[in-house]
Parts: sequence; structure tokens; C-alpha cells
Amino acid sequence: MKNFFRKVAYGIGPNEDIPSDPLNWALNQVDEIPDFSWKGKIYSEKELRKHYRDWVYGDRKVLRKKYKDNKTLYKTHKDILRHKTGQKFWESLEISIRHNEGINSNHPVLAKLWMFWGNFFAISEKDFLANYSTGAYQREIIRPNLNQSFEKMVYDVTTSWAMIHHLDNSESAGPKSVTAGEEWRRRKKEPATINENHGRELLELHTVSPKAGYTQEDVIQLAYIMTGWQHRWSKQNLETGNVWFNSEYHQRGKKTVLGKEYKRGKKALAAVIKDLVNHPNCRDFVSERLCRYLITDEPTKDMKQPIIDAFKKSDGHLPEIHKAAIKVAFDYNDKFKKFQTPENWFIQVAKLGDLEWPPSPESMDSFELGVKPTKKQRSPERLLRNIGQHPYRAKQPNGWSDHSDDWISPELLIRRLVYAKLSHSFSKMQNNNEMYYQNIVEKNFDNPDKIMKYLNQKSRIVEKQTLLFNHPEFLRS
Amino acid sequence: MKITRRDFLKTTALTSLYFAGYGGQTYASSKKKKNLVIIMLRGGMDGLCAIPIKGDKNFEKLRSKINLDRTLKLTSDFDLHPALKTFKNLWDQNQSAAVHATNIPYTGRSHFDGQNLMESGGKIPYQEKTGWLGRGMKIAGLTGNGLALALPMPLLIRGVPMNNNYFPVGYKLPYPQTLKMIQDAYKEYDEQLLSENLEIIQTREFSNTASDHSWVLASNAANELSKPDGPSVAVFEVDGFDTHAAQGATDGAHADCLRDCDNIFRSLKSSMSEEAFNNTLILTLTEFGRTIKQNSSNGTEHGYGSAILMAGGLVKKAQVHTDWPGLKKKELFEGRDLNSTIDSRAIYASAMSTVFDVDFKKISKEVFWGENLQNLSNKLFKV
Repeated sequence: MKNFFRKVAYGIGPNEDIPSDPLNWALNQVDEIPDFSWKGKIYSEKELRKHYRDWVYGDRKVLRKKYKDNKTLYKTHKDILRHKTGQKFWESLEISIRHNEGINSNHPVLAKLWMFWGNFFAISEKDFLANYSTGAYQREIIRPNLNQSFEKMVYDVTTSWAMIHHLDNSESAGPKSVTAGEEWRRRKKEPATINENHGRELLELHTVSPKAGYTQEDVIQLAYIMTGWQHRWSKQNLETGNVWFNSEYHQRGKKTVLGKEYKRGKKALAAVIKDLVNHPNCRDFVSERLCRYLITDEPTKDMKQPIIDAFKKSDGHLPEIHKAAIKVAFDYNDKFKKFQTPENWFIQVAKLGDLEWPPSPESMDSFELGVKPTKKQRSPERLLRNIGQHPYRAKQPNGWSDHSDDWISPELLIRRLVYAKLSHSFSKMQNNNEMYYQNIVEKNFDNPDKIMKYLNQKSRIVEKQTLLFNHPEFLRS
Repeated sequence: MKITRRDFLKTTALTSLYFAGYGGQTYASSKKKKNLVIIMLRGGMDGLCAIPIKGDKNFEKLRSKINLDRTLKLTSDFDLHPALKTFKNLWDQNQSAAVHATNIPYTGRSHFDGQNLMESGGKIPYQEKTGWLGRGMKIAGLTGNGLALALPMPLLIRGVPMNNNYFPVGYKLPYPQTLKMIQDAYKEYDEQLLSENLEIIQTREFSNTASDHSWVLASNAANELSKPDGPSVAVFEVDGFDTHAAQGATDGAHADCLRDCDNIFRSLKSSMSEEAFNNTLILTLTEFGRTIKQNSSNGTEHGYGSAILMAGGLVKKAQVHTDWPGLKKKELFEGRDLNSTIDSRAIYASAMSTVFDVDFKKISKEVFWGENLQNLSNKLFKV
């Protein structure tokens, strides 16, 4: 039963009590969105986007011109600009805020779901998004929507600066739009064409999934509806301006997606999203993904049904969807144990191990713009890359896999072995005793004697931690 | 020069390719170890950027912003992207070739479905849990012979047990005794896959403290592939071919990716023993090509037909094999993409048949579920 605390969250820390009613403990965490438990500075997405702007503008418009004949000077000044804009710091700060929610907050279940949706609506590695923007996007777009409707979540994600940039929608121009007839396009031979990328992913990854059987024409029509949603480009801000609806880029005329007609204009996007999130395949897809994340690689119809029903009944209210998923996870707790992805695994390592992790707010707040961040300040970014799952650097827009097999290979196991061993260097002195291990093992395992016997094969902490965090019962929950 | 399909076929030696049928079968005759290396090009490699057609005014017009201003010469009909320098050197020694206007029979233009299918070899995305290469290795009895130069184990090579992967982290492993205890726990809990993987970790000779640059990985792989008892299959990954914007021409995003691929060719060529390289076949694999026409962001969209780059001593001769479909609007797939006139699964099946010394029919039956694929072994490879 105790694996439930790691199935829907990150386990029970050494100083926490075991909840007497595990199911309600979990259900009670998903209605409200509390403030972040991180005590250090948190920067707004806009502020961070300003740094992004300073980086692209400074590099593209200033340095490349100024140092066009001197590669070495160009490189030096580019590095100075990197540090001036915090390029090597922000993502580590964001990961710290994120991990702190899993480890030190009183709503770790919400944190685990937040991470799910961040990955569901993934911003993959592109340009410098991970360096400046993706963490803030997950904080300001994904998290506040966790107690809203799925429909609102999709709309906010779709019109967010990060997603618009990530999936190239600013590049999309209706062939039958005002801009299509502009003189400069003829002169520069740049006819207005659509960019299908965002439209396709809105269908495939964010709502109905390919199982809905949409056609290439549906993709094109949705891309037409989306034409005009772009960043506000200016000479000063380049591509970092706010997202707006530029009617001059919008494709004229009606569009038809999955058999339904939409009028031209700004409101069509909200209308089509409303229909997509109410499509049966969307409910099925969301349920399947939640079950796969929490329970098993191969969700069954019976597992998905209560979540699909909750989705339908609540009109996609995410807390209701989450509660249904938690209940299903609880019902199947003993039968299915899900192999944890590297990041979820590491957060559990940090929580059970009572590690000095994430770096303290003080150490992160001591960062100064213009100075290269310290090794410690950069450690979250490095660690996640090394264990193979950096939440802002998925390789593709479908995010990181929830299939166990994708996380098992000699090299990926090596990362867990190595980091379970290295976790020793983040341990606190006061925990260096038998009592400590007895405590966390009793809180987190149903068979503490067996696990203790396994750990007691070794006496040094470094080896105890290597053993515990690679034990099959720890790898799955 | 204006090429029609008919003209092209006349000037190309591979006219007979389409009439090849089931050619000579290959039987295990040689004791020499042969290697197959697959480089996965993720994101949709633009075959027309890597190997542009010459003298097609229409093509040049459609790509006015991303045409190559400098190319390497391949044939009277095709040029080569200048980033593919090693490929060109190998070409000059008859150790590289290409197949153009080819792809897996997938036209859905989704990266994820497409990449899943290019690896599984199946027709329905996410249905198969093994890869065509893994299944081929299984038939050939190549257990414990696969090496992936990637952090996760690619689907492509799944389906045969005991594959290895290498992507060094830079830290030392726990003590062998500790690993043994973990291994015992895996066994007790019947964690077969974990157990197999840990066994590999315990027995391999790779250094965990090396670098993970692709040319270093390739160089390590080359050493292993050269060993008589080393792996005989290796898989690489190159990301970033999805250039919807700023694709660039001679330099640019697509060029950088092609250069990464070329660096793998270079490292393999320079670090393998001559004998091993002579008995090696290297093929690229991508999910789809890109649209003929540039978009307004000087990029290209997801398309269909692409090209396969081939290198190594088992390549028959320097040649661009193709049944060129043409680039006129009516000749394009759905009026926008280079068509695919050669099912690329036939090429991969032929490659496995050649390298693994397994009957082509058996491969096509057991790896590709009896799909009617042509045996191109004799045309493309030294059998």
C-alpha cells in the first residue's frame, strides 16, 4: 500500500507522518493551487522573456555585426552576453522551484500532476527556450490551469508565447489573407504560406490524437484557423513580443475541421478548441495518458473509463479529472507498479534521502546577472541532463515518454547507479545512522524488514543509498 | 538540363532495378564478421538539400532562398551538399552511394508516428514494440551484438535481447560487489529487462568517464565494431532536421545536421580497421523528406520522399540509385512532396540480408510480415 505515496507523489520524507487516509490525503491536494513553497526569488515569464530578448537582440543585431571580422572577440563577447542575460542560470532556478514542490511542499500530488501536464504540453528543446522560457511557461501557463477546465488549459497553452514560438505559428500566413497581397511579398518573392506545425500538434498531441482519424485537410484547415496568432514582432523586441491576433495574416473565409464549419476571425480558435476538447477521442487520450503516467504502460478500458466519465460529467474540470485518476491509481495500487521516469525517480531519491536538494534559496538568490553562475547554481540543469530527462529539453514536441521500456537501457541504468551513489554527497551529516534508514524504509515500504536486510549488506551510506535507490521496489511504485 | 523521368532512367544504370525481382539469394559463406550501422536522422531529412537535382529550373525557383550556392559534384544529374565531405571522399573510392526518392510507405507527415514507423517497420503507429533491425538481428541470431550510441535504447534495435548502449556520463560506477547485490534483487523480483541490462553493464569494457560527442562515440563504436567478437550492429541518432524555419543553404540548420552525420562517417572510416570498414555497411534512416517548396520562413514543411545515404566497403559502387519521379507539380506526391518510388524497407531488408547473411525472403517474411519487398541486394551491395 505504501507505494501509493510514491505512485501519486514522491514518497514520505523522514520528518513527515504517514497519512492515515492515503486516498483522501491525495484527493485533498488537487482543488486549490497554493503559492509556491520555494522561498527564494521567482521571476515572471515576462521578465525572463526580456532576458531572452536581450540575448537574441544583442547577439543577432549587435555582436554579429560588430565582430563580423573577428571570431575570437565575437565569441568572448557572446559569452559575456550569455551571463548578462542569465542564460546558464534560469533553468536551474526553475528546476529548483519545481523540485521543491515535490519535495518540500504540502501538495506533492499536485506537483506530480503539474509535471505530467508540463510534459503533455511539452516545449521541446528549441532555440533558447529551455534557457529562458520553458520553466516560466510551466509555472505561469500550466500550473494556474490545474484547477481550471481542460478547455481553458488548451486555449492558454495554444496562445502562449512559448508554444507559439515553439511550434512556429508566427511563421504561418494565410494564402488568402491581407498580407498575402502585400507588395513586399511580390518584391521579395515571399508568398504567404501556412506553417502546419502548430495546427498538427494541437490535434495530435494536445487534444484528439491521431486516433480521431483526422486528415491532412483537417490539419490544413486548423492551421488556417490559427493563422494570425503570432508574436508581435518589432525591431526592438524581434520575436519576443507578446502573442496577439494579427487579422492581416488570418486566412479569409470559412474553415472546416473534422466536419464542422468555423467562421473567419479571432474567435474561431476558441470555438475549434471547444469542439476538440469535447471530442470523445480527446477524453480517451487524456485518460490514457494519465493512466500511463501513474499506473501502467498498458492502460485498460476499465482503468480509463472512470476518468473519461469524470471528464464528461465535469465538462473537463481538471480537479475532477485528477481525482478520478487518483482513485483509479488507488484501486490498482497493488496490482500495477509503474516504473518511474528518471526525474520522478530522482525527486523521490531526494525526498527519501533527505538530500540537500534542490540547492537552497539562499544559494540560488546569490546569483548576480553578468557573473557566471557557480557550479552549485547550475547543478539542477546538469543533473537532469545526466539522468536522461531534463523537463525543458525533451527532444520533440511529444515530450518525454511514459513507456517503461524507453527508460531501460544499460546507459540509463548507469545514470541511476551513478546518481544513487552520488546522492551521498548531498546527504546531511545527522542522517548518517541506522535509525535514519529504518525510519524512511518503514514509512515507504510494506516490507521494511526485508528491505533493511538488503541494505544492511553494506555499512557505508554511499553503498546503502546505491542499494536502496536501485532496489526494484524503489524503481517502481 | 531538363530531365524527364524517361530520360533519367536512360541515363541511369539502375533502370533494371524495377525489374529486379528476387535476385540471387545470399547464404552464409564467409567467416568474416560483417557490420551494419544505421544512422537515424530525426526530424525529416531533406533529401533534396543533401542531394539536390541539377538543372531543374522549377526546383531552383521553388527554393530561391535556400538553394545551395556551393555543392560537391556527384553525377551528371545530382550534386551533394558541401557539408557531406567525408561522404564525397568515400564516393571517390566507390565506398558511398545513395538512393533517392525513397521512403518508408508512410505519408501522414507526423514526426512521431513517422519515427515510430521508421523504427518499427510497421504500418500502424505505436503498434509494434520491436524494431525491424532488432527483429532482423533476432532471426540472424545476433543476440548481444547490438550497440546503440544513445542514452535510451532506440525502438529500432529492440526485439533482440542483450543490446548494449553507450553514452558516457563521466562518473565511475559503484563497486562490482554492490552491483551484484542489486543484480540479485532484480532477479528475485523477476525484473528480467533490468537484470539483462545490469549484466551488460557489469561485463563491458567502455569507460564511463569519456566524452559523449558524436564523433567520439563513433570512434568508440568503430573500435568495438572492428573487434572480431565485438558488436556487429550499431545505431546512431542525429537530431534537428525539422527545419520549418531558417533551414539555411550551404550553411544553416540543415547543413549543421548533415555535418553531424558526416562526422559519424568520418569517425567510423578513420577509427575502424580497414578490413572491418570493408565489411561494413552504413545507412541513414529518416521519417520523411521535406516539401519541395520553401515556406515564408525560409524553411520547409513535412514531406514524403527523401534519400538514403549509404557508405562502407559493402556498398557496390558510387551511384545515385533512383527511379526519379520528377518535380513537376503533377509528379509530386499530393502536389507538394518529392514522391517515393522505392520502398525504403526494401533497402533495409536487402541490407540486413547482405550483412546478416540471411535469405532475403526470410527477412521480408519474418521482419516485414511478408510484405512484397524487392530484393535489391545485388543492385546496391556487395553480396
